[in-house]
Amino acid sequence: MSYQAEISRDNPTCFLFVIDQSGSMDEITEAGRSKANFVADVLNKTLYTLVTSCSKSDGVRNYFDVGVLAYGGADVTSGFGGVLSDGIVHPIHAISEHTLRVEERKKKVDDGAGGIIELTTKFPIWFDPKSAGGTPMRAALNKTKETVAEWCEAHPGSYPPTILHVTDGQSTDGAPEEMAEGLRQISTKDGPVLLFNLHVTTAGGGEKVFPTTESDLGDDYSRMLFRMSSPLPAHLAKFASDKGYAIAEGSRGFIFNGDPQCVVDFFEIGTRPKLVADR
Amino acid sequence: MRPEARSDVHAKPRLPLAFSIAKADDKHNEDRFHRSTKGVYALSDGASVSFDSASWARILVRRYAHNPDFNRAWLSAAIAEFARLYDRESLPWMKQASFDKGSFASLLGVRVIDGGRLIQVLSIGDSIAVLCDGDRIKATFPISAPSEFTRSPQLLCTNPVQNAFLDKADVGFDLVADWTFRGLEQPALLCMTDALGHWLLSQRDQDPSPISVLRKVRTANAFARFVREERAAGRMKRDDTTLIALW
Repeated sequence: MSYQAEISRDNPTCFLFVIDQSGSMDEITEAGRSKANFVADVLNKTLYTLVTSCSKSDGVRNYFDVGVLAYGGADVTSGFGGVLSDGIVHPIHAISEHTLRVEERKKKVDDGAGGIIELTTKFPIWFDPKSAGGTPMRAALNKTKETVAEWCEAHPGSYPPTILHVTDGQSTDGAPEEMAEGLRQISTKDGPVLLFNLHVTTAGGGEKVFPTTESDLGDDYSRMLFRMSSPLPAHLAKFASDKGYAIAEGSRGFIFNGDPQCVVDFFEIGTRPKLVADR
Repeated sequence: MRPEARSDVHAKPRLPLAFSIAKADDKHNEDRFHRSTKGVYALSDGASVSFDSASWARILVRRYAHNPDFNRAWLSAAIAEFARLYDRESLPWMKQASFDKGSFASLLGVRVIDGGRLIQVLSIGDSIAVLCDGDRIKATFPISAPSEFTRSPQLLCTNPVQNAFLDKADVGFDLVADWTFRGLEQPALLCMTDALGHWLLSQRDQDPSPISVLRKVRTANAFARFVREERAAGRMKRDDTTLIALW
């Protein structure tokens, strides 16, 4: 049975975020921010959450390896800056230590006794929004495939890598489906790599969330993204269902025309590990 | 002879046996326990994937031993004690975030009153108490079937927001069981964290009975050997494992 491996320091899993930074990502959403800006914010929050879930008083435990691949124009590069830009995938403790900067934000929190208090919180930034040029999706997925194959070879017993791919447009360097298919054939002993695709839009409506069939999708492009996406494993399907999404047998990790809330939920659902050892 | 006359109720509370072993030799044990000759026992299973569950577990068992009347004020005082362990503002961002998220632990507390005339059990989370008569299990609390251990337990947290589940609970009813040693020929009381609790409930119909197996464990070395053997056989989850046994 797949996706049962216990995630631990001895057997970490891998999250790889593949982010479209093409020119069209500068379109402004209904919330008044560019798609690139919004995706960067959600990615920073997701990295923050992943690090926090591994942090204890004595340090950060390496339950996860994490990478960001960014593509736009002619480039497919590490989405991290500074020291982390030298490689694609890094242990979570290295991610925690090498931020671009740490901002201070204020947030209001429940004090647990019926009151609200304002807390100043340190918020790390790893990823700044960028948007320029074309959409070399095929090259990006090829690089993803190489990265993930290497990781699986080094971690044969681990829960397989999860790839969260965020895009807003069509590939400009050829059909990416073949690359996605090759990517999903890579596996550890615990199952094949999971590839989830999120298509973001500035226009509301027409969204398709975790569909079960391509016949409901309106064009060849969305149908291709559906075929490129892995079925949701049972534990992620349950989590998505608990968040209020209509999930059925065969639901795939794919959102088309997703609105900002879909972006947030896509990242949260996709990075929900099955188990973390030693509760 | 009336049933009460058969009861093995002791005039003076005894000090129970207590053992605890980490999930692995190179890992920190985040279970904590307390026992006394006053008949108050407590154990707490700290959740490893939280900020400092070992300190939180230690505070919970020590406070229970000092004052077993659990309520929201009791919990607020425990949270305040934990908060004093750290200077939040000086923590690096990742530790501050984890500190804010909270540390989680179970709490199982037992009061043996009048030598067993009344046994009050308080349990929050998935640590369990077991009342036995000889090798027979008479009652367990709060979990009675191994399948119940697969659910995510609600644990006490240093972040007050995470304790909102207590608002929906009647602390004096939902979280408490009252037992007695009266009428039991060979009464015994066991308290244990979830890995051992799951093992015991999974093995309850086996021969020899799991109670008779545990009854033979009288030293820390014997406990460690028993846990390692059961883990190696795949019958016990690899987790911090703690037992308090009043035979």
